[in-house]
Amino acid sequence: MSNFIDIIRAELKFVYGDIFRRKSVLIMFLAYPYILTVFILLIGYSFGSPKVFIERVGVDPVIFFITSGFMLLAILGVSDDIFWRPIFEEWMGTLPYIIASPVSRIQHYLAIPIPRLLLVLLTGSTSVVPVLTYFYGLNGFIESLVILGLTMVGAVFFASVSMVSLGIIYGFGGESWRVINVLRPLLLILIGAYYPRFLMPLMGKIISGLIPSSYVVEAIQRMLIDPSVPASFILMLLGIATALFVVYTPVGAKSIVFWEKKRVSEGVKT
Amino acid sequence: MDYAIVAQGLKKKYKTKKRKGLIKSETQVVEALRGVSFRVKYGEVVGLLGPNGAGKTTTVKILSTLLLPDEGEAYVAGYDVVREANEVRKRIGILLSVEKGFYAKLTGKENLEYFGALYGIPRKILSDRINYLMKLLELDRLGAVDRLFEEYSLGMKARLGLARALLKDPPILLLDEPTLGLDPPSARKIRGLVKDLAREGKAILYTTHNMFEAEIVCDRILLINKGVIVAEGTPYELKTMLPRLRTIVVLVKNGDEFKINSVLSELSLKYSVKRTPEGLIEVRVHVPKPEEYLSDIIKVIVHNGYDIMTMRIEEPTLEDVFIYFSSKE
Repeated sequence: MSNFIDIIRAELKFVYGDIFRRKSVLIMFLAYPYILTVFILLIGYSFGSPKVFIERVGVDPVIFFITSGFMLLAILGVSDDIFWRPIFEEWMGTLPYIIASPVSRIQHYLAIPIPRLLLVLLTGSTSVVPVLTYFYGLNGFIESLVILGLTMVGAVFFASVSMVSLGIIYGFGGESWRVINVLRPLLLILIGAYYPRFLMPLMGKIISGLIPSSYVVEAIQRMLIDPSVPASFILMLLGIATALFVVYTPVGAKSIVFWEKKRVSEGVKT
Repeated sequence: MDYAIVAQGLKKKYKTKKRKGLIKSETQVVEALRGVSFRVKYGEVVGLLGPNGAGKTTTVKILSTLLLPDEGEAYVAGYDVVREANEVRKRIGILLSVEKGFYAKLTGKENLEYFGALYGIPRKILSDRINYLMKLLELDRLGAVDRLFEEYSLGMKARLGLARALLKDPPILLLDEPTLGLDPPSARKIRGLVKDLAREGKAILYTTHNMFEAEIVCDRILLINKGVIVAEGTPYELKTMLPRLRTIVVLVKNGDEFKINSVLSELSLKYSVKRTPEGLIEVRVHVPKPEEYLSDIIKVIVHNGYDIMTMRIEEPTLEDVFIYFSSKE
């Protein structure tokens, strides 16, 4: 466990260097959820009515999109961090040193997204928290904290899916941003943040059901739409998410080892 | 005896695809290693010396668990590099490229802290170790400790690379051209350090194509060419393997190169004659034992009325050895 904490500390330094020492990246990182929400609301208000949205979804679009934007930023941030890392390492020439290190692959890949998640948490405290507090007062404030916490959990859960996918995609197809660019919009939909699962067609529901984070997203959405939703239902959703995470994580580690072996059989570029 | 590194019959082929038009491609096979075998003891620096594409980096990659051999076996610290890769990884320090391999936006110290965490070194020990290595490699003196890696000179990068290789104080070091492109002070620093580390008992495999460096750093040299080890031994042993062991160099003052050429032909030896930029005649005679031929050469030159200015005996260089064995292939 102490080694896992050391790895997280190391990753914190890495993210600090990568984001805080690149000012343009930092500005974009902090502005992203606001830009996204403003953009969506602008289009929404131009072409549709917030009343229809409330009737259909059951919550004010401002609350829905600021929360969804935050959840997406957190979850997709995790997938980006994990998918992007091997490509980045190869580019920097650090990949051989990572592969030749005896670090536990589970610990390393779970630690990779945590620092950026902490930063996302900061953006959440300046977006989700004030908006929910403005709409619902103290209850909204408490709810926003629960949402932040659950989003973090949902995002960490997504690390397992990303690890499994990384091994399969990179192992068979090679490391490429192009593949990730195809995956991203699909994930955007299937996570259910912008398109709630209960509105999805059957096939979408089935595929979405395989993603642990989608249950956390659903739990948050249910809480937003109906504050009187039974706690047992929320716990059931979180239970399914946890179970999937527990199943996927060791598979993810094996998947990464599979990809590494593939790289080693071809030769890691130095 | 326990060997630090044992390689037995390592073979490796690379397949590369060459595009032929829009869809078609042709697979080309390059034999990088064609049965490489050698051993490295603890406390010695073994140089893997060869031209570009000889198979040096491929060998180092296999021993570093970064490449699987097609055939053959390799053991590092007694562990199989294929089946027990993780055990090997705990016991080696590697330096694969001096230019890359660190995060540009982290300082030298932060980079070492990062890799130290991946190597599982406890924080307190790591901090002390980094301070020690920064001093050892004079990175603190160069003001490189808190400087971003992207601002490093090549010499600093190489030193930091060696610091990372030494971070967990491994018994075995695999260094792939650690002085490539370095300025003389940095190269000298690294060479000196490598010798010291071997004295401490570490086993070091050191690849280079710099003959001078190989001669002064390595206890033993493996000459590799086209994926095969063509000769092996100490620098002295390798030189004695040459059929033409030494060269007698005579500088003649008042001569004509064509006449001296014809005069020397009576000796039936292999020689060359040329005029130097200073207007002297340089005679180079290649003989196995100079002491047996020296008086004959002097006699022939002096008796024909030429004045000898200087005379010396040249030892063959490692470069001669290398060229000889490379051309034999």
